[in-house]
Amino acid sequence: MRLFKIKKQNLIPFLRGLEGFGELWGPVKKGNNFVYVRAKPEDFDLTALRTIIPAKKFFLPSKFTSLKFRDNRWEDNYRPRKRVIFGLHPCEIHALNIYHKFYTRLYPDPYYLRSKAATLVVGLSCIPDEHCFCYATGTSTVNEGFDLFLTDLGDRFLVWVGSPRGEDSLKLVEKFLEEATQEDISRYVSWRKKRDASFKLKVDLDGMPEIVSFSYDSPIWEKMGNACLSCGTCTMVCPTCTCFDLEDEYDLKRDEMKRDRFWYSCVFREYSMVAGGHNFREARSERLKLWYTHKLVGFMSEYGSPACTGCGRCEVSCPVGINVISVVRALRNERSTALWVKMEVENA
Amino acid sequence: MAKPKIGIYGLTGCAGDQLNILNCEDELLKIFDIFEIKSFVMASSATDEESSLDVAFVEGSVSTEKDLEDLKEIRKKAKILVAIGHCAVYGGVQAMFMDREWEKMYRKVYGKKNAVTLTKPLPPKPIASYVKVDAVLPGCPIEKEPFLKLAGLLAKGVIPRHPDFPVCAECKWKENECLLLKGEICLGPLTNSGCGAICPSLNVSCIGCWGPIEKENWEAEAFLLKERGFSTEDIVKRFSIFGGQERAEKLKKYLESKEG
Repeated sequence: MRLFKIKKQNLIPFLRGLEGFGELWGPVKKGNNFVYVRAKPEDFDLTALRTIIPAKKFFLPSKFTSLKFRDNRWEDNYRPRKRVIFGLHPCEIHALNIYHKFYTRLYPDPYYLRSKAATLVVGLSCIPDEHCFCYATGTSTVNEGFDLFLTDLGDRFLVWVGSPRGEDSLKLVEKFLEEATQEDISRYVSWRKKRDASFKLKVDLDGMPEIVSFSYDSPIWEKMGNACLSCGTCTMVCPTCTCFDLEDEYDLKRDEMKRDRFWYSCVFREYSMVAGGHNFREARSERLKLWYTHKLVGFMSEYGSPACTGCGRCEVSCPVGINVISVVRALRNERSTALWVKMEVENA
Repeated sequence: MAKPKIGIYGLTGCAGDQLNILNCEDELLKIFDIFEIKSFVMASSATDEESSLDVAFVEGSVSTEKDLEDLKEIRKKAKILVAIGHCAVYGGVQAMFMDREWEKMYRKVYGKKNAVTLTKPLPPKPIASYVKVDAVLPGCPIEKEPFLKLAGLLAKGVIPRHPDFPVCAECKWKENECLLLKGEICLGPLTNSGCGAICPSLNVSCIGCWGPIEKENWEAEAFLLKERGFSTEDIVKRFSIFGGQERAEKLKKYLESKEG
């Protein structure tokens, strides 16, 4: 992997230079949170850790028209604009790699592939907060899945080049690049030590696939199901959730049919409902069990890693505190302060 | 193919759903072109009530005997009956009070029992309490886009099914901060989507005007709100605006049992 550096004061012109590839998007503050928006580089917030919605939105939008048909002919007008997305942390890039596997291996998804081709990923290092646990999921550093990756070393950024496209994009910003030296690498090594020591949230994911499998009949799922609002937030904010639904409609004004595709959630009641009205997972507990089994067991056996990258979004998003940390702790019989654990709701 | 014959009717309600159909200004000519409109009093006083209908759209709740008679007539002549708007689908804000409570409210407003002579009032109910309903479009009022979607499918001979997932999904698609997490009484998790999460996108918490999703977990949300320090009264008030009296009564009982 090639390595350069740029001076800190050159970050904004550097990003402006990359705009030669396409629209520039990055994290900007929204209330107490962050969102990826198209903005000027000086408006990006480098302290942003997790955006409300992850970068998966750049690869398959939350809702879009996948095709239109009329008189036995169909056309697909999905043409994503070329974009530079800046500020993606290692957990986010690992999630994109999971997304990539899912959408390319068995049935390559044409919409995903078009977005992928139109997107330049520029990663950024980070210092964890109390919700980050990428250390436990093995996703705190990243070697692939980005075009460029910037590590913040105070007065300079190291610029790692992760792809031929990343290499090409450097032509746009050549004048800011300097060769990295031995001293830069030593500074990086000590930065890594400091960063690795700063994780506050400790969680043990060892043996999780087996623990989840053996907990199939545990009463914990029912307790969780009684507390779950089925709002679907966990799946919308999860960077590795891929489920979607399709809906056909007739546009009476243009006299054509269109097929919309939108993010869907396995915690919704109709998710496992089939023609005739039978529902394979009528109970909320069954649906939650599916989500956690998929993340921590199913994905593991299919792709060799859990479908969780420790970003902490479920932790900060679930109104009743059902998230990877609290569920793993509950399944391990460890103490947990999550709201759902103390909720006494009997409704099933 | 002959144009489908339709009628658009209003029972007791604010007529806001019919108005929103008229508000589809860019599509209105197309709607009038695709369908043969036999009755739409808000748009034209020229009606043909003798004709049979392929589709009847009905807004408003059944709140009087006249409503009930009209509804039965509409049902008789329509192949497909579609309830539009919260009043027709769930009974509306007026269904907040039922039976016993309703009589009390009635006397409070009208003074005595037989004050209204034009028609006999009834406790407000959704139209499905009296006749078979083939499709629904909730909302207070209905939204233009979902209405056009529904009308389009009906024009193609498809009986539309309103999806059943909460406002939170649309809210997250719009990348909003969660108002429930910010400590507000937001009914997003319990409320059916379709509105596009308009209110939470403007930082106003959901009051449930699209009606509850199937198998909503109101117990959990009530518990959560109680935990956040809201009073039983505040929670019950918010839930009962569009949730009807039955749910409000269950909720009250549940919350009082938690108070111990």
